[in-house]
Amino acid sequence: MAFQDDSAMTLDRLDLGQRAEVRAVTGHGSMSVRLLEMGFVPGVQVALIKRAPLGDPLELRLRGYHVSLRRAEAKRVQISGVTK
Amino acid sequence: MSRALRIAVAGNPNVGKTSLFNLLTGSRYKVGNYPGITVETREGSIRPTKAWQPRADTPAPTLVDLPGTYSLTPISEDEAIAFRALTGAVDQVAPDAVLLVLDASNLARNLYLALQVFELGLPCVVALNMVDLAADAGVAVEAKQLEAALGVPVVATVARGGVGLDALIKQLAQADQVEPAKPRLLEPAAGHDALRSCLASLEVEGVSPARARWLLAATAAENLDLCGASVDERERAASLDPRELEQAIRSLVELRYAEVDRLLAQLPSDAGVGQHNAKRDGALAPAMARSAKIDAVLTHRVLGPLSFLLVMALIFQSIFSWADPLMGVIEAGIAALSDVIAGALGPGMFTDLLTEGVLAGVGNVVVFVPQIALLFLFIGLLEDSGYMARAAFIVDRLMARVGLNGKAFVPLLSGYACAIPAIMSTRTIASFKDRVVTILMIPFMSCSARLPIYTLVIGSLFVANAPVFGPFTQGGLILLSMYLLSTVSALGLGAIYKRTLLPGPTPPLVLELPPYRLPRIRDTLRQVWDRTADFLRDAGTIILAVTIVLWGLLSFPRVDPAELGPGETAIERSVAGRVGKAMEPALEPIGQDWRIGIGLIGSFAAREVLVSTLGLVYGIENADEDDAPLREVIRDAKDEAGAPRYTRLSGIALLVFFVYACQCMSTLAVVRRETRSWKWPAFMLVSMTVIAYLAALLVFQVGGALGLG
Repeated sequence: MAFQDDSAMTLDRLDLGQRAEVRAVTGHGSMSVRLLEMGFVPGVQVALIKRAPLGDPLELRLRGYHVSLRRAEAKRVQISGVTK
Repeated sequence: MSRALRIAVAGNPNVGKTSLFNLLTGSRYKVGNYPGITVETREGSIRPTKAWQPRADTPAPTLVDLPGTYSLTPISEDEAIAFRALTGAVDQVAPDAVLLVLDASNLARNLYLALQVFELGLPCVVALNMVDLAADAGVAVEAKQLEAALGVPVVATVARGGVGLDALIKQLAQADQVEPAKPRLLEPAAGHDALRSCLASLEVEGVSPARARWLLAATAAENLDLCGASVDERERAASLDPRELEQAIRSLVELRYAEVDRLLAQLPSDAGVGQHNAKRDGALAPAMARSAKIDAVLTHRVLGPLSFLLVMALIFQSIFSWADPLMGVIEAGIAALSDVIAGALGPGMFTDLLTEGVLAGVGNVVVFVPQIALLFLFIGLLEDSGYMARAAFIVDRLMARVGLNGKAFVPLLSGYACAIPAIMSTRTIASFKDRVVTILMIPFMSCSARLPIYTLVIGSLFVANAPVFGPFTQGGLILLSMYLLSTVSALGLGAIYKRTLLPGPTPPLVLELPPYRLPRIRDTLRQVWDRTADFLRDAGTIILAVTIVLWGLLSFPRVDPAELGPGETAIERSVAGRVGKAMEPALEPIGQDWRIGIGLIGSFAAREVLVSTLGLVYGIENADEDDAPLREVIRDAKDEAGAPRYTRLSGIALLVFFVYACQCMSTLAVVRRETRSWKWPAFMLVSMTVIAYLAALLVFQVGGALGLG
């Protein structure tokens, strides 16, 4: 069984219906700033609601609203404390 | 008499900002454009009501409706407009006050922008909009309580129902006296050393703390050029330590969100708790409860794409066929008017100018109105209801492969009906480069004006009903191939343009899926009218002018019918006829002759005009009403040696030419309108004509070499 490194857990690896807490947004540039400003700041709870019919992008829920991100962008969001 | 107050209307997208603006101004406004781009702002005075009249010595305040934005760190041009108008950066004056529209059901995100606006230190009035929906979702917030927490006037409104308007107008009329107008800045706390040090580097003489904060964010977002920073500021920004900058922007955003949470926590528990819990519990989005049920179908793995196809088919079908009767009425009306004028004035050159030049030109413009109006009605309804975001969600994966995002899909699809409204609908695409890529792709989509040409050529040179296999006939399969060719070419060329001519990263997708709402039909209709008027005014004049010029080319010099040789028609002696004949050496390699050349000149007005122009060349009246006689003539036409003038191969070459060629001045006029420059229409005309010629050449020469001629 593969060892699951929790420090590398990112938003794109959540299963449907799972929730987690945002730890950090990695990287730099406009996309990282936009993710932060849309509310992906440490301590915020985020849930994976749905995947688009073709598997990408994702529908996420945080701060009382729904937002869609591509998997490539969700990968920038590090998470911890995954719960069902 | 004192100057009118200028009040900027700001808010997140989908908060009902435009409805509120329309109500406050009575939908009387000017649409303003920024040079070089077509992001619009709208400006209008507050309309006096029963409860409020402007004082005799002060004009009513002017409202400026800004594009919706999530923050003051712009990443696209429409957000940059909102940013510039609010901050006064880039040769603009900051507004006297701000009307901040907040979605009452989602303060946990909306308050972030509010805090950034407060930093600017402008007088601010908050419209707490959609309080009815917030109450339904069980997260109602009292305006008074929010007012106490924020320290600025807050008025509860329901823009849809006109609730709270009078109270809001009263606040706006005295907006410049709102206290406090001091910038309310969040100071770096313990552990925010990087933020403190970056701000210290930026916050020099003449740079306000608020300016230092947005400079910092714009530097981190690598978007300083959207913000109009000075040379000195750019130098200081460039000298920041990259690692410190990354840390600083994180601290700054976290600081603001911590303040949002602190403000929410101040609201009484039963009111604020639902909002506040949204932060704690990712499973809660009270305002989305009903929408999530609708999405169980509309973004379902199987039902989602099906309903998407159904919606698109409905739009496509409506533009394709519902507009048709209206277009018929317009064409018949123009024809009847022509007859009346011709009857009243008698035959003559002036009559021809009036009927075949001016009236035909007006007809060429007005005939697009049903399609434009219908497309924008549908797009408006889809946007305002919240479905457009779902459509982008469903097709984003496909569009990402071209290098665009889901928002480019609807304009491209609309291109099958008509490129004119489709090009106008690209305004929702945030990046100008991506918009131009989409605009360049659209005319390759096989529009409805190509159909008469396809049917003429297929009907003349092929046996449309000859079965090939199963239910498929020659006509159907050729038609299908042309549509496939056009679609594949549009997507392929789009991908090439995106990687060469207009390079840029695939636009990221950070797309809010807002709650579904009933659109306010009056706002939608108003937008339909704005778009249509826009087209009539800007593109219409160009189309009218070119129609008259084309009429001149096809009619002059005038010839006495007695002078014509056997089988010769007057059009051959016209300027266009001579140019057509001069073009023949270039047309032969693609299997065409000078007659088609004249047709190509005439059909620059609109593709389907090829049919009537060829009718004139062959001396057949009313060829565009019934092309059967023309088909026979084309089929039977022989060259000097007695061989058929047109072969099947030359027919296919002509079809392929029309798939690619930009034979449509109206498209060029609209591209000029939308890109605000002649550069892109010129590029479009040249590149499409070259591609069309080369493709037809390839078909005719390779086909000929293979013995298919």
